[in-house]
Amino acid sequence: MSDWLSSPFFGISLSIAAYAIGVLIQNKLNTPFANPLLIAIVLVIAFLSIFSIPYEDYNAGGQIITMLLIPATVVLSISVYNRLDILKKNWLPVIVGCLAGSVTSIISVLLLCRMFGLDDTMTISLLPKSVTTPIAVGLSEQYGGIASVTVTSVIITGIFGTVFAPQLIRLFRVKNAVASGVAIGTCSHVGGTTRAIEIGETQGAMSSLSIGIAGLLSTFIMVFIKFL
Amino acid sequence: MKVLWQIAVITGVCFVGEGISLILPIPFPSGVIGMILLFLLLLFKRIQPRDLKESTDFLTDSMKFLFVPAGVGVMQIFDDIRNSFLPMVFICIVTTVITFAATAAAVNGTIKFQQWLRVRRRKPV
Repeated sequence: MSDWLSSPFFGISLSIAAYAIGVLIQNKLNTPFANPLLIAIVLVIAFLSIFSIPYEDYNAGGQIITMLLIPATVVLSISVYNRLDILKKNWLPVIVGCLAGSVTSIISVLLLCRMFGLDDTMTISLLPKSVTTPIAVGLSEQYGGIASVTVTSVIITGIFGTVFAPQLIRLFRVKNAVASGVAIGTCSHVGGTTRAIEIGETQGAMSSLSIGIAGLLSTFIMVFIKFL
Repeated sequence: MKVLWQIAVITGVCFVGEGISLILPIPFPSGVIGMILLFLLLLFKRIQPRDLKESTDFLTDSMKFLFVPAGVGVMQIFDDIRNSFLPMVFICIVTTVITFAATAAAVNGTIKFQQWLRVRRRKPV
């Protein structure tokens, strides 16, 4: 039995099945709180725990899926390239916004982690939480964080952005569509962007553009902070 | 052969990215290096987005799914982070609000600054 379950096909099939159930539940409930990724993670953990299947058996297939994150990061550049026109028109505000936002995000996480007395590994894992997951995981691993903590924090951030993007716009009285789009993309990556697309075309385009740019800038900021 | 060719291009970019990442003296995720490489290939018209369409669509559509195993890894360390979990949720939410405000203010400020420059340029000083 354990020989059979340590086949990579087990982990892959279980992951896809769990994710499919997640998508199904989201379509039924139609609320951003029912995040398919979150549901899939909980389901897989429950399945492995109930049948006492070792994590290593699952991860034989799991690591093949995780490996695909690098090519998924690489093709992010295509979505920036496809929006090159609107980037050219607004390049200065977009870049200044992404830079200010990324610096603020990283520094505020750093300060709050210190305030709560979280250890260094935990802090490093949380630092990239506003960045899109593939870049966040790459950063976390490079600096000695825990990838799964990073994924969890990115999901929490994404769900918060999806649910509260319109409230944030109202709370801070952001009238400019470029400003709200860039702000949503920089603070809550793909999660917020799905909502920004519903708010308006400019907001959606700006938000998805900011995901890639903020991710790239965050990489440089992390390097910079390391040398401080 | 079409999709195989696309996979070859993307895998090649990833592989070169990992090589560069190993040489660089600073920690820089290989995926981000690959992202910059592919962007340069696009910018210099060595490659068109449509050349990679099927593979890109697959990777983008299944992006969220690809994080399932990484997230499941939490079960291995949950006992260690149990006490940090609530602060973690709190930190994620608070910093997201702060980041939103800072970004929006920076974009608005820059747009206003550009408008001010334009007005000033029109009026001869």
